[in-house]
Amino acid sequence: MKPLSPSRRRAIGLIVLLCLAAIWQLLSMIYPAEAQPGEPMIAGWQVIFTKTLLSLSDYWQGGLGVRSVAEGASRGYAAACLTLIVNSAITLARVLGGLAIGTLLGMIGGLAVSWSSWGRRIVNLPMQFLRTLPLLAMVPLFQLWFGTNLFGQIAFTAYGVSVIVFAGTVNAVANIPAIFIDNARSLGASQSQIYRSVILPGILPGMRSTILLALGTAWSAVLGAEYLGAQSGLGYIIVYAQQFAYLDRMFLVALVILVFAAVFYTLFDRATRKLLAWAPQTSRREIAR
Amino acid sequence: MSLTTMPVRDGGARRVTRALRFDPMAWLGILLLLLVWELAACLLPPAILPAPLGVVRRLCSEFLSAPDLSYFGLANASLLGSMTYTAENVLLAMIVGAAFAIPLGLVTARQELIRAVIDPVMMTVGTVPILILAPFLLIWFGVGRASAVLLVTFYVIVVVYVAAQRAAENIAPVFEDYAATLGASPRAVLRDILIPATIPEILGGLRIALAGAWGLEAVSELLGAQQGIGKIIEVLAGATDAQGIMAALLLLGLVATVCDGCAAWAIHRLTRWKSSTPVAGA
Amino acid sequence: MANAVQDIQIRHLSRRFTRADGQTVTALDDLSVTIKAGEFVCLVGPSGCGKTTLLQMLAGLLRQSSGEIEAQGKPVLRPGPERGVVFQKDSVFPWMRVIDNVEYGLKCRGVSKGERRERALHYLERVGLMQVAQAWPKELSGGMLKRVAIATVFANGAEILMLDEPFGALDYVTRHQLHDVLLDLWLDGEGGRRRTVIFVTHDVDEALILADRILVFHSGRMVEDLAVTLPKPRSADDLVLPELVNHRHRLLQHMGLIRPAAAKPGQ
Ligand SMILES: Nc1ncnc2c1ncn2[C@@H]1O[C@H](COP(=O)(O)OP(=O)(O)O)[C@@H](O)[C@H]1O
Ligand SMILES: [Mg+2]
Repeated sequence: MKPLSPSRRRAIGLIVLLCLAAIWQLLSMIYPAEAQPGEPMIAGWQVIFTKTLLSLSDYWQGGLGVRSVAEGASRGYAAACLTLIVNSAITLARVLGGLAIGTLLGMIGGLAVSWSSWGRRIVNLPMQFLRTLPLLAMVPLFQLWFGTNLFGQIAFTAYGVSVIVFAGTVNAVANIPAIFIDNARSLGASQSQIYRSVILPGILPGMRSTILLALGTAWSAVLGAEYLGAQSGLGYIIVYAQQFAYLDRMFLVALVILVFAAVFYTLFDRATRKLLAWAPQTSRREIAR
Repeated sequence: MSLTTMPVRDGGARRVTRALRFDPMAWLGILLLLLVWELAACLLPPAILPAPLGVVRRLCSEFLSAPDLSYFGLANASLLGSMTYTAENVLLAMIVGAAFAIPLGLVTARQELIRAVIDPVMMTVGTVPILILAPFLLIWFGVGRASAVLLVTFYVIVVVYVAAQRAAENIAPVFEDYAATLGASPRAVLRDILIPATIPEILGGLRIALAGAWGLEAVSELLGAQQGIGKIIEVLAGATDAQGIMAALLLLGLVATVCDGCAAWAIHRLTRWKSSTPVAGA
Repeated sequence: MANAVQDIQIRHLSRRFTRADGQTVTALDDLSVTIKAGEFVCLVGPSGCGKTTLLQMLAGLLRQSSGEIEAQGKPVLRPGPERGVVFQKDSVFPWMRVIDNVEYGLKCRGVSKGERRERALHYLERVGLMQVAQAWPKELSGGMLKRVAIATVFANGAEILMLDEPFGALDYVTRHQLHDVLLDLWLDGEGGRRRTVIFVTHDVDEALILADRILVFHSGRMVEDLAVTLPKPRSADDLVLPELVNHRHRLLQHMGLIRPAAAKPGQ
């Protein structure tokens, strides 16, 4: 079978996504059940971008010259958009803050431990345990430790990210072909020069998938923290709406998260692709993942 | 000396067996972890960080029955009972998810058109944490087994689909061609080439899915459930009982690690032919 | 006249390995030999006879079980830029462009940017790779990668050059081209001095065309030390000259390809 061209594949992908949107619309029309009076189980797009969007202004707490609904103002697009923007900013700060700190700590730790094979052997078992210890189940523990503030959420996210990055770094260093290190040594490189010129670039291909994994973990961690106790952020709006079975609001906010996550992923993918121009393609087919 | 490659220069097969065999150094690592925990517990108040021994004792005493917990109206008030419930859900989700994802992944690796249709969906779903579905499932399917199992199933499908697809894609075409020139029928190619050659990567995908499944199952129970280890953690979190939480987490972590270890061992056994990198330079 | 201090002295050198199944293998067994400065020595022998092991010990990448190695008057304890290695497998760093690869050793030693660029370009030209100086290694063929590796060790100024079956995986034509490149580089070392080359191969003809001296190994022991006096450069045609025919015969005998009983006249 002849492979499809990338542009062809992309076109089909777009059509598929559009079809899904159309099916959703169709479902909303033929299945008008309501989760609550006035709250449809499946909200059509015309509802989502008007009434649902407007209803998000309920979550605006006032400020920036836009009065909140609680203060007596009627629902408005300004308050609704501000709700989305402010809560997105909070969520993104948690994701990015946790990701940055966690990656930094995990990588420094991984490189430090890999300095000697002893270090690698000592951390191996504890590392396996921490990595398999289910992160999301630890939300309550971290809340107990750090409270439900921004610092606590970033600490939680950073923990989850750093465990993954740490393990990924240790593995990546161990997987660098010995011949490159031998070659550098026989050309007269010192230990620290080998670290800079062989180990650091050599772990990059392995680190790429690790950091993509960490990106997913960061989103999970932040969502978990927002579902279970945070008082702001996109995830918080979702669970808050869930308590009243406002499915359409949950759906809209989930869409926003989906867009952010996809954009992050794509940006990261592009950025690393450039950084890894030297790396031979491993897969037979250029896949966008 | 550290970066010398001398100790490593002994082929892949040996490295694997050594990784599986227990290394005294690894025990030293566990000991260090416990020591750090113990030290930190001495410095911090027990309400924040209980000492390891207390946590283990708590785990043992509430393993079979936990009268304190039954006040909260939990169905399986013991840690064992809750853990069993959680494990059942994870297992069920793994089976259902794998049953969907493996055939789908294998087929899409060979059928471009089907792939072009399914990939965008999987990619979109794959970039967002599946956790986002949890509140929806709780509304649609109510608080109970179904929504938790479904959440984990979706996760398993996404992970294993990608693994199965990669696996089928990464088989060098030369093997299939070679078998065909030897006179193998398409069925024989499937049985003797495609399945054995894709098993390692598929198993790897299943292992990753299993590792993630525990956390998702637990968080689903934290969000709303009548039982399970996540429910226990939620109840104890309400009572700010750090020792109880850590005992439950320890049990969950141990079960997850043991399952992961078994999976790794099984993969190693089933794929011994694969890890035979030749001795360097020989 | 070569200076004895510049020679490589190997005395009672042995190396044993313990395999995963507990079995002990003697990869190299009590080897004593002196390699003179400026000599082009080929190590030949069947696969698994300890050639790579010896080379790695000479390079300082592998510690001996017993015995001594002395190069340029100093015991070999660790790898160093004065002993360059072209590895059996591809060792060119894939994350550096070709030119950066060739400069790498000089950069490690703090040679200034302009000087090392000049040297690197000089050697790239000598191996005929000027046009790919800025390419990524993944864009090069196997033979080109070997040339990059050779340019790298020469640019690094190694006095002793060790090559481990460098051309084993190459086609006939490329292999002969690279022989010429290598001989060319060997003939004019720094300051008019020839460099020492230790060349591992299992190809008897390759050894006959390149070597001043051929050391034959079998099961970890040196079983023959042949001097080849025919002037260089030699070509494939020279293989029919009496000296090379005789040597060839002996070499094949050692490899078990010709049984002594069935031996042809000669010698
Ligand atoms: N790291 C190692 N562990 C165990 N055995 C080894 C190791 N390296 C080499 N050997 C053994 O030593 C012998 C010589 O190997 P080598 O020097 O690589 O041979 P060759 O002459 O083909 O280069 C072989 O029997 C090989 O199996
Ligand atoms: Mg060899």
